[in-house]
Amino acid sequence: MDTPEGKLDILDDISLDVKYQEAVVIKGASGSGKTTLLGLMAGLDRASRGDVILFGHNLTQRNEEQRASIRAGEVGFVFQSFHLVQGATAMQNVMLPLELGGVSDAYTLAQKSLQEVGLQSKSDTLVEYLSGGEQQRVAIARAYATHPRVLFADEPTGNLDAASGRQIADLMFHLRDRSGTTLVLVTHEAELLARGDRQVMIESGKLLTN
Amino acid sequence: MVKRATIHAYWLMFIATVITVGVVTSSQLIADRIGLLLDRQASELLAGDMVLVSSNEFSDDYREQARRHSLRVSQSASLRSAIFIGDDPQLVELKAVDGAYPLRGKLETAREITASRTSTTDIPARGEVWVDSKLASLIDTPLQLGEKSFAASQLLTFEPDRGGAIFNLAPRVLMNLDDLAATGLVVPGSLVRHRLMFAGEAADVLRFKIWLITNLQPGEELQDLENARPEMRRGLERTRKFFALAIVLTLVIAMAAIAITARYTATREAPKVAMLRAFGVSQLSLLKYYLRQLGALWITATIVGVGIGWLMQFPLQWALDDWFGRTLPQISSFRPYLNAALVGLLALAGFSLPYLVNATATPPMQVLRTALNRRSWLRGLLISGSAVIAVFIVLMILMQSSILAVATLALVLACALVLPLILGWMVRALLLSSRRRFWLRQYLLSRLRATSRGAIYVMSGFSLVLIAILLIAVVKDELIGEWEAQLPENIPNYFLINIGSDDVREIDAFLRQREIEISTPYALVRARMVQINSVDVDKIDFADPRAAHAVTHTFNMTHAAELPDQNHVVAGTWLSDSDDLAQFSIEQGLAQKLDIELGDQLTMSVGSQRLQARVTSIRSVLWENFKPNFYLIANPELIESFPQTWLLSALIEDANKADLKRLLQRYPSLTLLDVSELMARVRAIVDKASVALHFFFLFALVSAGIVLLAAIQTGKHEREVESSLLRALSANAGQLYRVHVLEYTLMGCLIGFFAAAFASLAGWVVSEYFFDMEFQLSVDAWLYSLASACLVLTLAGTLVSRRVYNVSPMKILRS
Repeated sequence: MDTPEGKLDILDDISLDVKYQEAVVIKGASGSGKTTLLGLMAGLDRASRGDVILFGHNLTQRNEEQRASIRAGEVGFVFQSFHLVQGATAMQNVMLPLELGGVSDAYTLAQKSLQEVGLQSKSDTLVEYLSGGEQQRVAIARAYATHPRVLFADEPTGNLDAASGRQIADLMFHLRDRSGTTLVLVTHEAELLARGDRQVMIESGKLLTN
Repeated sequence: MVKRATIHAYWLMFIATVITVGVVTSSQLIADRIGLLLDRQASELLAGDMVLVSSNEFSDDYREQARRHSLRVSQSASLRSAIFIGDDPQLVELKAVDGAYPLRGKLETAREITASRTSTTDIPARGEVWVDSKLASLIDTPLQLGEKSFAASQLLTFEPDRGGAIFNLAPRVLMNLDDLAATGLVVPGSLVRHRLMFAGEAADVLRFKIWLITNLQPGEELQDLENARPEMRRGLERTRKFFALAIVLTLVIAMAAIAITARYTATREAPKVAMLRAFGVSQLSLLKYYLRQLGALWITATIVGVGIGWLMQFPLQWALDDWFGRTLPQISSFRPYLNAALVGLLALAGFSLPYLVNATATPPMQVLRTALNRRSWLRGLLISGSAVIAVFIVLMILMQSSILAVATLALVLACALVLPLILGWMVRALLLSSRRRFWLRQYLLSRLRATSRGAIYVMSGFSLVLIAILLIAVVKDELIGEWEAQLPENIPNYFLINIGSDDVREIDAFLRQREIEISTPYALVRARMVQINSVDVDKIDFADPRAAHAVTHTFNMTHAAELPDQNHVVAGTWLSDSDDLAQFSIEQGLAQKLDIELGDQLTMSVGSQRLQARVTSIRSVLWENFKPNFYLIANPELIESFPQTWLLSALIEDANKADLKRLLQRYPSLTLLDVSELMARVRAIVDKASVALHFFFLFALVSAGIVLLAAIQTGKHEREVESSLLRALSANAGQLYRVHVLEYTLMGCLIGFFAAAFASLAGWVVSEYFFDMEFQLSVDAWLYSLASACLVLTLAGTLVSRRVYNVSPMKILRS
C-alpha cells in the first residue's frame, strides 16, 4: 500500500487455503491485516504480488471489472457497519444484489431470504428505522439471497450487543449449514471463534497459526 | 493532526463563507462603481452633479459652502435676446458660461455644418460667441448682442445640459460670462435664468445637498438626477433596483452554499461530539469550542473573501474599458469591505450556529451505536428562525428598499420551507409507485430520500440558486427588452418647432412628399395653471414640495383627438366628443404632485385669457421615449381658438438633410431641434447598463457554479461509500456509471421544474411591484430551467462519477 510515509507492506508471506464449505475464522489484533486479507480473498482489492485464487481465477491478474464479474452471484458480504442503502426498505436492500446480477424474480427471492432471517414482517420498513440486530439480519439476508458459494464477513457482530451478536452468529451458521456456503469470518468474538471449523491467527501481517 | 482534521471538516463551510464575503465585496464594489459611472454619465446631461436654478443671482455663500464641501462650481446665465440676420430679427437663447463650464461632459463644436465635430471643455474666448447650427450663416461675421459686437467663431453642435424644456429653445448663442455685463442685456427686471452647477465626490455632493436644501431661498430650484431629466430617471432607477436585486439574489446563492455546507459539517461533527460528550465534556464547553472554530473560520474567510472580491472587480473593469474605451471610476470607501465582513458573519452565524448547537446535543450513546439524533421542534425552530433573521438583517444591510428586502426574504423563505416539503412528498409518491423492482429507478429515489445524505436539502438549496439565476435572467431580459422598445432604431431624431398654424399643413405635406417619417403635428398652447377647483394655486398648501415649482411652470398644452403613442389612461376615460367639451387629460406624475383627481376643475391662463375644464382622465406617459409628450391635453374645441404654434417630430436621414435646408429657407420662423446627439448619449447609457446587467448575471452564474460544486462535494464521501458497496455487491462499471449520472439527471429535472415554477411566480411579483413592468410568463425560462438544470447536473454527475465509480470496493470494508 502506498502511504504518505512511503510504501507499506501490510501482509507478508501468507499462504492460506480455504476448502469448499469450510468455516474459517480470522483473528488478530487491530491493524494486524485481517481486513486486508479478507478484502484480497474476496477480490475487493488486488495484491501487489503473489496470487489469490478464487474458484480457479487468479484475482491478482484481473482488473476490478473482471473481479466484479467473478464475485457476482458467487460471493456474499456481511459488514460490521451493515452498509445498507439508507432510504430503502429491508426488502429493497435484499433485492439489490439480485437485480444487479440480472435476476428476474428478485422480489420473490428477497421475500424468501427475509423470511429465512425472520424479518418478513419488516420487509417494507425503511432500514434506518430498524435496530442494529435487525439491520445486520437484513445484511445477512442480502448476502444469502444470491446463494453465494462463499460468504465473507467482517466483524459481523462487532456493532451489536451480546444478545444480538449471538442471534446473528446463530443465524449465519444456520444459513451456512443449510446452504453449504463457505464462510470466511474476521472477528474478535470468542463465540464466533469457537464456532469456526478452523481459526487463523494473524499478527503484523504474518500468519501465526493456520 | 487535529488542526488538519478540523480544517478538513470545515473546509466546505470555509469555501462557502469565502464565496459569500467575496460576492458581497465584489458586487458592492462593482455596483458602486457602475452606479458612479452611470451617475457621471447622467451628470453629463446636467453638466454637473447638481444644479441650482433661479431667476435671481445666487448668494456668494453657495459657492463658498460648495468649495468647503470640496465641490467644483460653475455658473451660467441664460436669457432670450434678438439678433439680426441681415434685416430679419431672430430670437436667440443666449447662454453665458464661466471657465469651469461644463463640470461634467463636453461641448462639441464645428467650423461648419458639414465639418467634423470637436469635443472640448473650453468655452468661447472673450469677444467670441459660438452659435447654433441654424445660425451657420453667421460664422466669421460680427454679431451684435446688445451693446457689444462679437465674432461668431464656432458652431455649437452639442451642449450637455440642453435638455429639459427642449421645445422652447430658440437657437443657442454661447458666450463667455465675463462678456455678459458689457452687452447691457441684463438690467433689473430682465428674465434671466441663472444656473449654479456643482460637481464632486458623491458623498460630498450629498452632504452639500443636505446643507443646500435647508438654505434654499424662495424661487430657487434644485435639480439633480432624481428630479431632472425625466427621460433618464426611470431607466436609472430601474438599473439601480436591478443591481440591488442581483446582489441580493447572488447573496442568496452564496448563503444557500453556507446552509448546505453547515448542515453537512454538523452531520460530520456528530460522532466527534458524541465522543467528547461521552468523555464528559459539557454542552456549553462544546458550544464555546465551536464558537471559537467559527470565529477563526470567519476571520480567515473574510480576509480571503475580501481579497478575492477585490480582485473580481477587475474583469468587469477590463470588460467595460474594452467596450466603451473609458475607465470605471474608483471608489475610496471601506463600506463594501465592512459590509462584506458583517454579512459573512451574519450568514455564517445564522446558518451554521444552529446546526452546531444541534450537533452539541448529539447523544453520547452515538459513540456506541448509530442513533438518530432527531431534531426537536425547538431546535428546528432555532435553525429556521436564526436563518430567517440572518437573511433579513443581511438584506436590510444591503438594500435601501426594505420592501424589496421583505419581498426577497419572503421568496427565500417560501422556497426554503416549501421546496424540501414538496420535493420530499414527490420523491415519496414516486417511491410508492412500484415495489416489486428496486433497481434502478427506486434505488435512485431512495438515495434522494435518505435523510443522512441530505439530498433533498441540497436539491432545495440548488433550486433556490437556480430560481435566483432565472429571476436575474428574466428581469434582465425584460429590462433590456423594454429599453430597446423605448429607443428603437427608427426613433425620430429631429423636432420641428415654432411652426405657424398657417404653415403646418404645408410643412407636413413637404416632408411627406419626400417620404420623411413624421409624427402627428401637435399644437402648443402656452398656459399657466392659476386655479384648482376655483382656488388660487398660490393659496393651496401642497403636500409635495415640488408642487410649488410645478404651478409656476408654463405648460405646453396641446389638443388631441386620439391618445398619443405610449400614453395609457390609468384613470377616467379619454377625451370624448360629449356635450361637455371642456375636458383635460393630465399626466399621472403632475396629478400626484398637485393632488389633482378626476373631476377636479382646472383654470388655466393663456396670455390674458382664461379657460376652465374638468379633469376627465389621468395618463401615464413614457417620458423616455423621445416623442412629443405633454402634461396637459385638452379637447381640440377647447383650445384651438387660442394662439398656438405647432410641433412635429421627424426621422431625417442624412440623404434628406438638403431638404431640411430648403425647408428652413422657406419657413425662417421654423426652429429645428436635433436630438440625435442626446439620444445617442442616452443610448450609450442604456448600452452601458446592459453590459453591467449581463455582467451581474454572469457573476451570479459563476457563483451558482461554485455552489453546485460545493453541494456536490458535500455528498462525495457518501457517494464513494455507496459506490464501494455496490462494487462489493458486484455491480459493474456500467451500472455504477448509470446510477450516478441518472441520479444527477433526476435531481436536475426536479430542480429545473421547481425552479421554473417559483421563478415565474417571483418574476411576476418583482416585475409587477418593483419594476412596474408588465410580466409575461416566459416559456423560454421554463425550457432553460429544465434544460440547464438537467444538463448541468448531468454533466456535473458525469464528472463526479468518473472518480466515484473508480473507487475501490475495499473502501466499504474500511469505512
